[in-house]
Amino acid sequence: MKLYDYILSPSCYKVRLMAALTGVKLDLRPVDFHPGLEHRSPELLALNPAGSIPILEEGDLILTESSAILVYLAAQAAPEWLAGTKPEEAARVQQWLSFSGRLTANLGGARLHEMLLRPGDIGALQAQGIAALRELEAGLVEQNLRGERFLAADRPTVADIACFPYVALAPDGGVSLDPYPAIRLWSRALRSLDGFIEMPGIHRLHELKAEPTVEESKA
Amino acid sequence: MHTLTTGPWTPVALSADLPVGTVIPARIPAGSIALWRSESGRLSASADRCPHRGMSLSHGFVRGENLSCIYHGWSYARSGQCIRIPAHPGLEPPETIRAKTFTVEEVGGVIWVATDEATTAPPAFEGLAPLRSMTTTAGIAAIEAAAGAKASAEGLVVPVGDTLCLLVSTRDDGQTLIHVLVTGAASAEARIGASRAAESLRRAAEAVQKENAA
Repeated sequence: MKLYDYILSPSCYKVRLMAALTGVKLDLRPVDFHPGLEHRSPELLALNPAGSIPILEEGDLILTESSAILVYLAAQAAPEWLAGTKPEEAARVQQWLSFSGRLTANLGGARLHEMLLRPGDIGALQAQGIAALRELEAGLVEQNLRGERFLAADRPTVADIACFPYVALAPDGGVSLDPYPAIRLWSRALRSLDGFIEMPGIHRLHELKAEPTVEESKA
Repeated sequence: MHTLTTGPWTPVALSADLPVGTVIPARIPAGSIALWRSESGRLSASADRCPHRGMSLSHGFVRGENLSCIYHGWSYARSGQCIRIPAHPGLEPPETIRAKTFTVEEVGGVIWVATDEATTAPPAFEGLAPLRSMTTTAGIAAIEAAAGAKASAEGLVVPVGDTLCLLVSTRDDGQTLIHVLVTGAASAEARIGASRAAESLRRAAEAVQKENAA
């Protein structure tokens, strides 16, 4: 399974993270997104005319939407990451998968503006990002009141992985995460999962490992 | 300006949002703080600045009974004293390396931090249980207008016709921190309703704020 990947892309990280959590081995093909604009090269446009990454290629299957890729990985390796049979749970997974597209537009747009100088109305992007974070926070508060720790159930699903990266990287776009206690605890729960991997800007929980011991060097 | 008579105490967070072994950022009139709870459950508050390189300690992590900075791993005890410098494992850090600390109290699920010497206990709200915290760009006057009720001396706003209470405090960044409280016996359904009502109140208060600014 080949992933056309860019280390700083939150959408590519969703796929790498899902694969790590479900034990799927990916063949990573790095794309020079910035500054090379390789995602708009003839070779990549032939795979994905929309000119976006990630792209997942396996045999004649080509997937270019990160949510679809998450579903594909989960369906193959770990179906418990998909919605169960309860109607509310199935609907909530779809609700948050769609919502994750808005996060890409607003928090992701603000991040691209601030990090890669992409043109845009930064004030509007940040305001939309804050509105989305408030929505997510309220959703998580309600889930906690129902006794469920994650977005669609009391176990993590593809919906959590779809929403997590752009939320965790909101500060890159100048949007603070300080006002959202439920998001903070949710992010902690996700980063505590076995097999969790990092990307630049999203670090693991250091306290989960024992304190490293270092011998003083005698210079 | 509203003069609240909570003395030196600021309600900074809800107990449920700070589980053991975690650190969170918070604000008091004296500035930003790192609020943390050790593995054994002891609460601490220190200035949100590592004495070493100024990194926010709230970005750090709690291991055992100590708070560690994310940057170079310097660790601090509850007293603020630096107790470990990983790059110099053989060195006992001098007493002068110390993070400023503040007094913390937890009453009825609300965490209060004192800016000065506290001679009184923070307020207790009988019969009310914390639901959630939220911040708003609306000031207390706009919240009062939206709620149709005045804040009590302790910062409690009881909106007309609602079952929820808002514990409000103005932060040093101009935002208002709201802790939403509900009557202790409320069902999960009622608590979800109260959370949605609080969202609506915030929207209304921010509309009032915007109107008044125009």
